Amino acid sequence: MIKCDNLQKRVPMAGAELEILKGITLEIKSGESVAIIGASGSGKSTLLGLLAGLDVASAGMVTLNGTELGALDEDGRARFRARHVGFVFQSFQLLPALTALENVMLPLELQGHSNVAEQAEHYLRRVELGARMKHYPLQLSGGEQQRVALARAFAARPAILFADEPTGNLDTRTGERIIDLLFELNREEGTTLVLVTHDQALADRCQRRLRMDAGALVTE
Amino acid sequence: MSITATRMLARDWRGGELGVLVMALVLAVGVVSGISAFTTRLQNALVQESHRFLAADTVVSSGSALPQESLQEAQQRGLRHALTLSFPSMVYAGEDTMSLASIKAVSDGYPLRGELTYSPAPFGAVFAARAGPGRGEVWLESRLFPLLQVAVGDKITIGEADFIVAAAARTEPDLAASFSNYAARVLMHYDDIPTTGIVQPGSRVEYRQLYAGPPQALESFTRWLKPRLQDGQTIVNVDEGQPGIGSALSRAESFLLLAGSLAVVLAGVAVALAARRFSERHHDYVAIIKSLGATSGAVNRLYGSSLLLLGCAATVLGCLLGWALQAAFFALFAERLPVQPGASGIRPYMIGAATSLTCLLCFAWPPLRRLGQASPLRVLRRDLPLEQRRAIGDYVLGLAAVTLLMWWYSRDWKLTLAVLAGLAVTAAMGFVLALTLLRGGRLVGMSAGSIWRLALAGLQRRGVANALQVVIFAMAIMMLLILMLVRTSLIDEWQAQLPVDAPNHFMINIAPEDLQAIEQVLRSEQIPTEAFYPMIRGRIMSVNVEALSGTDDVQEERRQRETNFTWSDALPTDNRLVAGQWWAPGTDEALVSLEEDFADRLGIVVGDTVEFLVGSQPLQARVASIRQLQWQSMRPNFFLIFPPRLLAPYPATFMTSFHLAASNKEFLNHFIRRFPTVTVIEMDIVMEQIRSIINQVTAAINLVLVVILAAGGLVLVAGVQASVDARMHESAILRALGAPRRLILGGLLIEFAALGLCAGLLATVAAELSVYILQTRVMDMHYAPTPWIWPLGMLSGAFLIGGLGVFCCRKVVSTSPLSVLREL
Repeated sequence: MIKCDNLQKRVPMAGAELEILKGITLEIKSGESVAIIGASGSGKSTLLGLLAGLDVASAGMVTLNGTELGALDEDGRARFRARHVGFVFQSFQLLPALTALENVMLPLELQGHSNVAEQAEHYLRRVELGARMKHYPLQLSGGEQQRVALARAFAARPAILFADEPTGNLDTRTGERIIDLLFELNREEGTTLVLVTHDQALADRCQRRLRMDAGALVTE
Repeated sequence: MSITATRMLARDWRGGELGVLVMALVLAVGVVSGISAFTTRLQNALVQESHRFLAADTVVSSGSALPQESLQEAQQRGLRHALTLSFPSMVYAGEDTMSLASIKAVSDGYPLRGELTYSPAPFGAVFAARAGPGRGEVWLESRLFPLLQVAVGDKITIGEADFIVAAAARTEPDLAASFSNYAARVLMHYDDIPTTGIVQPGSRVEYRQLYAGPPQALESFTRWLKPRLQDGQTIVNVDEGQPGIGSALSRAESFLLLAGSLAVVLAGVAVALAARRFSERHHDYVAIIKSLGATSGAVNRLYGSSLLLLGCAATVLGCLLGWALQAAFFALFAERLPVQPGASGIRPYMIGAATSLTCLLCFAWPPLRRLGQASPLRVLRRDLPLEQRRAIGDYVLGLAAVTLLMWWYSRDWKLTLAVLAGLAVTAAMGFVLALTLLRGGRLVGMSAGSIWRLALAGLQRRGVANALQVVIFAMAIMMLLILMLVRTSLIDEWQAQLPVDAPNHFMINIAPEDLQAIEQVLRSEQIPTEAFYPMIRGRIMSVNVEALSGTDDVQEERRQRETNFTWSDALPTDNRLVAGQWWAPGTDEALVSLEEDFADRLGIVVGDTVEFLVGSQPLQARVASIRQLQWQSMRPNFFLIFPPRLLAPYPATFMTSFHLAASNKEFLNHFIRRFPTVTVIEMDIVMEQIRSIINQVTAAINLVLVVILAAGGLVLVAGVQASVDARMHESAILRALGAPRRLILGGLLIEFAALGLCAGLLATVAAELSVYILQTRVMDMHYAPTPWIWPLGMLSGAFLIGGLGVFCCRKVVSTSPLSVLREL
């Protein structure tokens, strides 16, 4: 399902090159849940960006669902994401100008689905926000915003879900509630889950853990 | 893509993201179309008003009888017409009393434009006349009554016909056109001309055909007429009819076009700033929808169609606003405008729509187009910078667009280039100067208190962005200063030409033996006079021994001509030497000083020898100097001035000008009776006419200035808002750390006020430069430096920007830091 081979990322910095990822090779099977853990600055989020096709590698290749992302241009990767990939972010990344319902409808509209409102309402009810559909992100608590983000991520029925520190901005109790929901939905939809976190307890709930240190995978 | 542009617009509108952009566009279209409609209507009104000075819309003048064919053609085209015939003649009252008069015969229907006025008694109350004198009647100018010793109802004789004096003629709309005619006016009916038997072939007469009607009919008639005009037949336009008015109108038009052009630039800058902020605030938005699968093309289509919809809505709203603005101006100031404003037509709204389209394509679209290139990785890393590489291309595009719009609006390359030169100087020098000043400020701030340190550090940290902001503020302030300076000097110059106590009467033909007595009479009546100038009639015959042509053909520049000479030991007030030197008082040398245009026409330069004929005696003099005159000063002016000793042997009469209040007009009756040989020319009514036009134009100019000030204010608001987010973010963090309200607001005030001070300084330098170019090269005015503009420019910059900055950021101290940070 997800394969990456000798994945490298270098960025120019003060006249020299800084190596952020030092040749990552890994494979994640369909339906598997994997946690990428490591200290701040270890390269977790960079790896997630490359795996999801949000960024381009300096060397190496990433294959998702049999498609090599490096062979696609920016628009090609966007179309691929629309069909196959979902996201949950640490800072929720909801559009402030849109209501909860409109935020969830957005990826469905991008895929050209019909009955987008109906599907979006279904997922919002699934995350227990049936009564807050017309609310704007600023009118929702952090936990509620992340639940809208979960509904948005699963509404488009992606094959792969990437989550970047999904509980990083939430208190422990709310975080636990979000994680329960994430894993429940993941099970129901049979999605492949790749999750970046600092939180060992959250990582422990995944089937597999990948530890990163200074841009390299140290254990698998 | 199923997200329709309308839904996105609605969403953005609800989120408050579109407000500034829409307002900038609506105001841009509104200001441009409003000013354009306003100035078009005002110009139409002024042209209409100025037609009063012709008593018609178009006039054909000739020294010989004009063909009837033109009148028939004009009638067929739906034009009204009237005829006048002017000539000098002696007028008799009884056998012994006579006077030279300027006769004007007018047909029924005269005047076609403007108003004819009369008084039932000489120098009495003035009334508007419905028609001119009837058959067998004449109206005499007031001063003729004492000269002829007649009263209303008496009989006078012109040529072979007798007429009854029916009234005193006071003003004719086209009176100013005959200013050069010194003799007193007698108005009579056109159909009475044959009975007088005066007008014969070869008589010195001026025939005029007056036409008025719808502009299109006039235009087609003029096209028909022009090729049929014969030698000596000319079409008289407004400028020729009254040079003073023509020049005032042309300068006012230049000013209004300048104001409109600056509105175009201000609008463009406001839209660009608002679009840039909109784009910056949408960067995260685009990153999110791209991470969800939107392609660059889809993003471009989304924003492109949104912009188009927005543009259409803003254009309609803007045109409505423009219409409302100009309607409001006219409604508000209707009483101050003595004429009905004409229709504006569709052009102003087309200019508004074109401005909107240009603003969208050249100012709003470039930053939005870059959104398509936004990296979706920003969803993970918000610190990724925005794409700025194409910004220079955007500026070039914007500059080209502004240039074309300004030219389209003003149709004047010189005006466009003068404003662009000012803008270029501000932009280029401004950026470097602003960076230097801001960095210098940081060094000073190191040793200052915490508020200052905080503010000046902020200024330096965003050095390049701040320098750009200073340039934008400076441009807006510069344009406002330019308008204020040009407006002030324009109005000052007009007022200087026609002060309230300006001489409004001329007195000529004063015999030397009457001089003392007249001086005494005027003094005892407390009527202030200008100096008494001697006047000698002479003819210029040759230049450097080369005889001039003796022809009467006015087209021939180098011909002999008769004119008035005077003498003086001192250079008269209002005269300015442009070449050579003024002679020493009491000189015996045979010298002469010439007026600039007069010398140019004859090709005379300083040092040339010129020969004259005074009476039958020759006179030779060397050209000592060339002078420039102010013809509109209403003071006696002469083409030729000689040293007193040179002209002393020749017989002279004297002339002067003086100011006589309307309430004191009765004085003229007694004066003329006592000095019947003296000719008094009344200019007071003509001057009132000119003054009324100038007041009207001044009111219009002030109105336009207010509108442009609003447009300038919008640019300042958009400019401040462009940088508010970053400052709010920092201030919210400081607030969260416990910084008191005073520290935050004080820091913001100092930061914005410092930007405003820099901008004000730059704006003042650039405004002085632009005004110099505009006044000397475009508007044909004198330039004088204006020291008061320096403190005004800098202080208004500091106060305005400082105040606006704190106002826009006030939320940071009135709401919780968390809400501020969440909103940004």
